[in-house]
Amino acid sequence: MESLDPRVSRLNIDENASLSPKAPLDQFGTFEVFVQLKEGKQYKHEGAVHAPNRDMAFIFAKEQFSRRLMCSGLFVVDTRNVFVTEYTEDTVNVYEKVADNADAQGEAQEFEFFHLMKRGKQHEHIGSIEAQSAEQALVMAKSEFINSDKPIYNVWVVKTNDILFSSEEDKVIWNTLPEKKFRDAIAYKAADKVKAFKIRQHK
Amino acid sequence: MYGGGNTFESAKFEGLENEDPQKLAEFEARIERGEKIEPSDWMPKLYRKQLIRMIEQHAHSEIIGALPEGTWITRAPGFKRKLALMAKVQDEVGHAQLLYSAAETLGKPREAMIDDLITGKSKYSNIFNYPAFTWADSCFISWLVDAGAIVNQLANARGSYGPYCRALDRICAEESFHLKYGHHCVIHMATGSEKQREMMQAAINRWWGPMMHFFGPPDKVSVHTEVLMKWKVKMASNDDCRNQFLDMYVPKIWELGLTIPDPNLKKNEDTGRWEYTEPDWEEFKRVINGDGPCNKERLAVRRTAEERGAWVRKALLAPKTEYVAPLA
Ligand SMILES: [Fe+2]
Ligand SMILES: [Fe+2]
Ligand SMILES: [Fe+2]
Repeated sequence: MESLDPRVSRLNIDENASLSPKAPLDQFGTFEVFVQLKEGKQYKHEGAVHAPNRDMAFIFAKEQFSRRLMCSGLFVVDTRNVFVTEYTEDTVNVYEKVADNADAQGEAQEFEFFHLMKRGKQHEHIGSIEAQSAEQALVMAKSEFINSDKPIYNVWVVKTNDILFSSEEDKVIWNTLPEKKFRDAIAYKAADKVKAFKIRQHK
Repeated sequence: MYGGGNTFESAKFEGLENEDPQKLAEFEARIERGEKIEPSDWMPKLYRKQLIRMIEQHAHSEIIGALPEGTWITRAPGFKRKLALMAKVQDEVGHAQLLYSAAETLGKPREAMIDDLITGKSKYSNIFNYPAFTWADSCFISWLVDAGAIVNQLANARGSYGPYCRALDRICAEESFHLKYGHHCVIHMATGSEKQREMMQAAINRWWGPMMHFFGPPDKVSVHTEVLMKWKVKMASNDDCRNQFLDMYVPKIWELGLTIPDPNLKKNEDTGRWEYTEPDWEEFKRVINGDGPCNKERLAVRRTAEERGAWVRKALLAPKTEYVAPLA
């Protein structure tokens, strides 16, 4: 195929080959990604990536969600490991729907909590609690959040161990962000050039 | 990108009478109040279908749109331009990832979307079926095609579907660099040597038709937009988007001493609307249905990337994970 793109010509593609569907491949798993924009700020849900495992998910997430804006930390978790409560609306706090007790057995573990405070926005990290299950963690959190000033519409509960956190050493991967000014609109000022051009045209 | 639900055919408008009237009323009231619809909410089948189609085609447009610009990465003039163009093209591919995720929350798996792109079943923005002959074409795309995309994307970001809006907010934030970079490139060419000016002018002449097509057929022939507007799936009419684009960018093109190949192009100061020669809509139809200068190449490149990359994905495939739709 003669293409204007030398990279394409080098591929030697037969563009007349029939457009058959590609061979199916079991899709990669889904991982939810949480980003901390600045030290001290809450982690926020940013979106999802598909990856074969958590480590790869972390790498994809870093590229997808922390390439452009500021970033000081990243969480990834397999979507299947997120315990999702029901959704409420208006003035109904979802903790009103949480039972007063839950069956629990086994050892206590840490669970991270993410709250949705506004429809249309993203879940934010609130903190963690030690419990024997996600259900029990919700029961334990109930007293603290049921009287919150603003209603909480939905909660995600995730076992801390299921999350891959960026570590202290990982932070160097964001060190060079401020050097990438070529990714900012502000690096492309040209008003002076236009002005000079107009003056030249006038003469 | 290049979304807008405009160059795109829409879903068949039937079956609305089979929806539960109570639920439909609540759904419409929510949109009326300005609230977003989230994946876990009830929604009419038609809403789901139309959004999947629209977001998916938007995602494909980002992927395919990276091809004509990518053509010039290796030959962009100088290190700075190469760096910037590479970053921009990477952003566009990132936009596709965000958009595929948003479409997935509606129930269509990513693999099915990629399949539909490769087999030609699913459309993408028609403008990318045209070739980027010179560096000036790449400058035109970066500035003006992205400018057109931003007009659409800003409108759609006010739409009703939560995950799509959130993806668009992120995308729009990244687009501001594309637009400024593109404008910078065009200014450099237009204020440069005689040869550079000629190249830039030739690119505008080549791309003006497809650019006018970009916003889709005129309102008088676009069908079925009423209910989509009510549901805030479609946020502005094709003609309104086109008019907004002309209003923002024609003066900026003219101030560089460049011309636009349409003798009838002028702003009617009484109506505030731009007047122009209708572009060749027969050509538009022909190209979108497969018979354009680059349709074959675009799909062939995409298909080859899929085929030749399959072994990497297979090698990475781990049975410990499982595909599910993203949460939000
Ligand atoms: Fe884009
Ligand atoms: Fe673009
Ligand atoms: Fe762009």
